[in-house]
Amino acid sequence: MAANYKKVNRGVTLTLWERLYVMEVLRGIIITGRHFIRNWVSTFRSYMSGNPAGRGIMTIYYPEEKPVLPEAYRGRPMLVRAVDGKEKCVACGLCEVACPAKCITIVGAMRPDGTRYPETYMLDGAVCIFCGLCEEACPEEAIVMTHNYEGLVEYDRSQMLYGKEALLVPEEKLKGRLDYIRRRMYNKCNY
Amino acid sequence: MFDYTYLPSPNLIPSLVEMMLKIMFIFTMNMGVFAPVLGWVERKQSALMQDRIGANRADIFGFTLFGLLHIASDALKLLVKEDFIPRGADKPLHYLAPFIAVVPALVAFAVIPFGGKYMLWGHEANLVIADLNVGMLYIFAVASLATYGAVIGGWASNNSWSLLGGLRVGAQMLSYEVAMGLTLVGIFMVYGSLQLTTIGMAQENFFRWGIFLQPLGFILFIACALAENKRTPFDIPEAESELIAGYFTEYSGLKFAMFWMAEFLEMVTIAAVLVALFFGGWHIPFITHQGLIDAMGHLFGPNFGAIAAMLIHAAVFWIKVVAWIVILMLIRWSLPRFRFDQVMRLGWKIVLPLALMNIVLTGLIILAVR
Repeated sequence: MAANYKKVNRGVTLTLWERLYVMEVLRGIIITGRHFIRNWVSTFRSYMSGNPAGRGIMTIYYPEEKPVLPEAYRGRPMLVRAVDGKEKCVACGLCEVACPAKCITIVGAMRPDGTRYPETYMLDGAVCIFCGLCEEACPEEAIVMTHNYEGLVEYDRSQMLYGKEALLVPEEKLKGRLDYIRRRMYNKCNY
Repeated sequence: MFDYTYLPSPNLIPSLVEMMLKIMFIFTMNMGVFAPVLGWVERKQSALMQDRIGANRADIFGFTLFGLLHIASDALKLLVKEDFIPRGADKPLHYLAPFIAVVPALVAFAVIPFGGKYMLWGHEANLVIADLNVGMLYIFAVASLATYGAVIGGWASNNSWSLLGGLRVGAQMLSYEVAMGLTLVGIFMVYGSLQLTTIGMAQENFFRWGIFLQPLGFILFIACALAENKRTPFDIPEAESELIAGYFTEYSGLKFAMFWMAEFLEMVTIAAVLVALFFGGWHIPFITHQGLIDAMGHLFGPNFGAIAAMLIHAAVFWIKVVAWIVILMLIRWSLPRFRFDQVMRLGWKIVLPLALMNIVLTGLIILAVR
């Protein structure tokens, strides 16, 4: 038995001070105690002043407080309604092709002035994987990922089939995201 | 020898009233304040120590009181929960075990003084329920009784994990009770008594507190007390990762709550014993017992002054106890669990010899000082 095992050097050699244990225990307790007191004070202070940013604890009290989302956040994809009230989409079908989940269905049509528009634009929210490839593919900046992350689920899948009217959002509401796209950040940062 | 002096003989009614008040006070403090509130303290303190928030969602009309209402919701949940007894379990013992666990934790407090002696209208009030001259021995005896609750609970559950947990409790308690008794022999030698009131009175001078006279004994006693309490560095009897919940795996509802309560009450008792033996009991540093009574007497008259001094001393004692509970919680949430063989080695090979060494050293120093 004694000859058959190999002693593994785990690279852990404790000094006598560490082997005494009591002082190391004290050191550990001082670290955790520091966290305890710091978090206590900062939580109490932020509660008193009503300023959630002052809390030392990073947790967000979700339904009451909403997180501040970065522009790169990909929520529900939405269509952009231009300032003149028409959709920007020209029904070119690139998003339909780009979509890896195949959740977009477009039927295009032509206005009397010769511009194209989507007659129907169906986006199946139950299938969408929020990859943002539709936004990337779109030459007209007509479909963008929004910060809308609430109410993405329904009890019935047929409720999650969004039509054009449900998806259209005025352009000024999507300004931040459109600016973000125009900066062409896609190839610069791994979002 | 049993000291009957605290029993009422000439002034029956005042003594009876005093006794009832003291019992009511201790019972209210332990069962009404500490047992429930410590659940909240443990949740919140551990959360803050780990940069979390802790339970804060139970509310009444939108008021959460920093999660304090979780106590009420927990109590309600445990009350209405099914009281499950597994098939093949030893029913009477399964019923009995939580009671055996919780009663010693409660009665151990009887000998711990939370104040000194005060003259009220010619009647001497002694702020300890039972002023036994074998005080610490009584605590040891009662604390070892608490082991039976866990062992019987583990045995009666008809569950391998419970049985293993119960066995571990037995082994751990046996190991650490020996060492625990010996760590305190130094204290008994220094103060010349096992009576906790005498030890308390002897610590009137700040530099005669037990922590200064018995530093090694103090560290060893904390180690043993943590092991007796079965909380984290020594919680192998209920190690979740190995034994699910150890000896109370098969308990639910109020019986589970009783084990839970016993653990917290034991912690209060440990904190109180620590304060009474090592941290000057009810004494405020640099203020003598009689000095405070006299000062209060000047302010409020002799009787109400004594009452004021009594309240201040009791408050000081409980503040010290609360501080110690916070420290015990810090230890519990800072240290990882020992392995079973490490616990045994620590108990028999380190704490026990060191305790014996402490006795010898204390004896030599006492001889030299004399």
